[in-house]
Amino acid sequence: MSRAELTGRGLARRYGGLTAVDNVDITVAPGKVTGLIGPNGAGKSTLFSLLTGVEKPDSGKVFLGGRNITRMHPDVRARHGLVQTFQVPSLFTSMTVMDNLLVGAENRRRDYIGGLLGRTPHGSTRTRRVMTRTLESLNLTGIADTTTGTLPTGALRLVELARALCTRPDVLLLDEPASGLDGQETERLSGLLRRVAGEGVGILLVDHDVELVFSVTDQVYAMVGGRIVAEGTPAAVREDPTVRAVYLAQGPLA
Amino acid sequence: MRSIDLAFAGVSIGAIAALSGIGLLVTYRTNGVLNIAQGGIAALVAYVFRAMVVDWQLPLPVAALLSLAVVSPLIGIVLERFVFRPLARRRASAAESLVASLGVLVLTVGMTAGIWGLGSRNDAPSLFPERTVGLPGGSRIGVDALAELALVVAVCVTLGLITTRTRFGRQVRAVVDDRRLAELSAIPADRVAAAGWAVGTILAGFTGILLAPRLQLTPYGLTLLVLETFAVVVAARLASLPGAVLTALAIGILQSELSQFQVTGEFSALYLAVQSNLFVAALLVLLLVLPRLRELGGDAGSTGRFSSRGAPQTYRASLTEQRRDVLGKLAGAVLLAAPLTFAPINLRDAFIVPALALIFLSLVIVTGYSGQISLGVAGYAGLGALLSAKLADGDLFGLPALPALAAPLVGALLVAPVGLLTGYPAIRRRGLALALTTFAVGAVMSRFVFQQQTFVSGLHVAPLSVAGHTLSDRWFYVVELLCLGLGLLVVRNLHEGRLGRALLAVRDHPEGAAAVGVDVRNLKLLSFTVSAAVAGLGGALLMLSYASFDADAFSPLNSLLWFTAVVVFGADSAAGAVVAAGFIVTIDTLAPAGSATLAVGILALSLGWLPGGLASAVRHLVTRLGHRIVEDLTEPGRAGLAGTGAGAARAAAATSVSPAAYRQPAGDGGSPVLTPFGEALLARVRQVLHTSGRTQ
Repeated sequence: MSRAELTGRGLARRYGGLTAVDNVDITVAPGKVTGLIGPNGAGKSTLFSLLTGVEKPDSGKVFLGGRNITRMHPDVRARHGLVQTFQVPSLFTSMTVMDNLLVGAENRRRDYIGGLLGRTPHGSTRTRRVMTRTLESLNLTGIADTTTGTLPTGALRLVELARALCTRPDVLLLDEPASGLDGQETERLSGLLRRVAGEGVGILLVDHDVELVFSVTDQVYAMVGGRIVAEGTPAAVREDPTVRAVYLAQGPLA
Repeated sequence: MRSIDLAFAGVSIGAIAALSGIGLLVTYRTNGVLNIAQGGIAALVAYVFRAMVVDWQLPLPVAALLSLAVVSPLIGIVLERFVFRPLARRRASAAESLVASLGVLVLTVGMTAGIWGLGSRNDAPSLFPERTVGLPGGSRIGVDALAELALVVAVCVTLGLITTRTRFGRQVRAVVDDRRLAELSAIPADRVAAAGWAVGTILAGFTGILLAPRLQLTPYGLTLLVLETFAVVVAARLASLPGAVLTALAIGILQSELSQFQVTGEFSALYLAVQSNLFVAALLVLLLVLPRLRELGGDAGSTGRFSSRGAPQTYRASLTEQRRDVLGKLAGAVLLAAPLTFAPINLRDAFIVPALALIFLSLVIVTGYSGQISLGVAGYAGLGALLSAKLADGDLFGLPALPALAAPLVGALLVAPVGLLTGYPAIRRRGLALALTTFAVGAVMSRFVFQQQTFVSGLHVAPLSVAGHTLSDRWFYVVELLCLGLGLLVVRNLHEGRLGRALLAVRDHPEGAAAVGVDVRNLKLLSFTVSAAVAGLGGALLMLSYASFDADAFSPLNSLLWFTAVVVFGADSAAGAVVAAGFIVTIDTLAPAGSATLAVGILALSLGWLPGGLASAVRHLVTRLGHRIVEDLTEPGRAGLAGTGAGAARAAAATSVSPAAYRQPAGDGGSPVLTPFGEALLARVRQVLHTSGRTQ
């Protein structure tokens, strides 16, 4: 099952005199895990915001499945299948884990009038099945009825990912999903990402954990100073002289 | 009069507005609190001054010195020490500071009304002699205008010198930058904050004393007038002192100049309204057109802290919980229906309860559920009242007269589009900007609609009737209860199911909600729209309860009082809203005027100790009592009972996120072991049950 492809063409964003993202082309292919690496201040986060719609580019366009989504707000993009997670988990802290997931599962379509009149569907069996499966795959079943305000960060990150998965996205944008996770959880996360990609979802992974990025991705973009300096398979990018130079300055690249 | 003379006349009012604006700015810059209570403090000081001069016969200079150099700064210092310093200490959110200053406003208005009554007075003494002096060129200017102008210049120069030239000024700037950091560098931040408050309240006192002789002095009227000078600080973007002063003078002079033109025809009423309410109009326009009032942002838009509960449980609720819930609702219904047995005169007082409860419910929708601060609810309520009266009269857009029973409902529905329209600015605003915008909307509605003869003259409020028969008081109350039931139904539908979850998601984390496709903008609009309609229905019932349309019943100040009351009783609690209405009406009926206002003010200031409002405080109390009893009756450390078990699971989850920690230990501690006291109590209970069983 092939889904929509996310592409950014000629994206640029300037803050005053600083060009944070400078004429960047990027493609997140369906069924593939794409990585985005770069040192601090390289413009990863800004590029990420341009793709999610939190910020608008000064120039360039964003396409989802061939449709120009450059001017769409983040929530409209999400309803078109482009769903993100945040560096700081963005959960609804007064709700249980299950309700957080439900919000994710329910909001691809809107029915406010029905809601006002008291029609409150408790989720179709299909919605229910997706949620149960997601909870199981992330080993969260035990805390399904816990209020998220009381959970530790690592769990919050997984719940946020679960909530994003429950929207049944075409493209998933993950901002440092592994920070705050222990080794075992990170391993489970990479397995899950592979499986989700196997179902046809395109995933963009931004993470400081270069090892995770290289081990789980099919395609990697390396960013320095607002530009893409290298792209290709993890092996190719790992050997790229520019990338090596940048990362050697910060320590050895495994 | 010539333009130049008009300009001199306008200088006076402009200078007073400038003083008010400077006071607001000083407090904001030193404390980070936009002192909404400025109006209430101004009115209180003005009344104290009047009492000293008129009632106690003190000489004018002595009274002025006492009220401006003693009473005013004292109010500021007390407020800083006991209300705002504790908030700053625990880094309370801007929303909490906002509610605290609303509490102070409500408290001061309640005090003024409680001591001196709500009636109007026109014997307020004037601080400066009412003479004019000649100027070169043949114009004349009032001594008061000159003195006020001199005062503004003196205050500006002094403040400027202090902040730029003295050590204290450097300390002020350090505190403004970062209070914590300043304290770490041994700067007495508390003293700076207190000084800021004292200066702010002194200037508020000046504003009140100078404004009082210019109008029919009432606690509400003067307070409102001072609130309208907020336009000045908005124009100054809460930063620039000269900006505030120049705006104030400009609006004052413009207002005066406009009076020389005569506009005839259908716009004459509008022109007159704009001319006499230029500050309100400026406030709304400035808030709408000034791009990015970032200074007014902050987290005051998040009302999460006033909301204690999350989503209603989606799936299972235990049988006991269900039973308790049903019992609670039944008790509430019985209490609400109780006035039906009252004597007619008392029944009429009770009329106000369902009406007010509906207005409060509208705030629960917009503030409690979707997390938007709305300080303009009285506007929607008044509009609902006005429209329903006109509909029943057949006086609206040439529509035929509606059956009296249908008019309130249709009127409420007509308010919905207004809510939609006015909710539009709310999409992009949060925090203080949203609070001020909604306040300005309510104030504009009051000044430009409810107080205009064009709209309200000859308004005939007929009692409700069915098929030509006028409803008796009892039946009217029943109709009110039915309307309240309808409102509660809407609120329930907004709180449960998919819609309720989506709204809560928007309240808890707007960005996170948008990220998974929740339509944040339209949900905000929806809550504003529905809230406006519910408030409109409440307003229509309120008007029917009073049997007349009274613009004062829908004063913008009431919006602030009502908002505070709803927050006090738990912003996300529908039951809390109904209880709040009952509370206010009961106190107002039994105690002198202003008592309910006073009580709400005191409760609001105690919110610092009761986060989540009274409703949640009561809930917490019951829960804690339950836990205490359980702990008293069982051996500690052995039982896996509710409270301790959940706590242990949480503690475990906090240290590790391994899967095992997710599973709560369900009953692995075995059955609880009773303490000797528990054993004794249980035995006693069994014995009582046994004996009572035998007697039956």
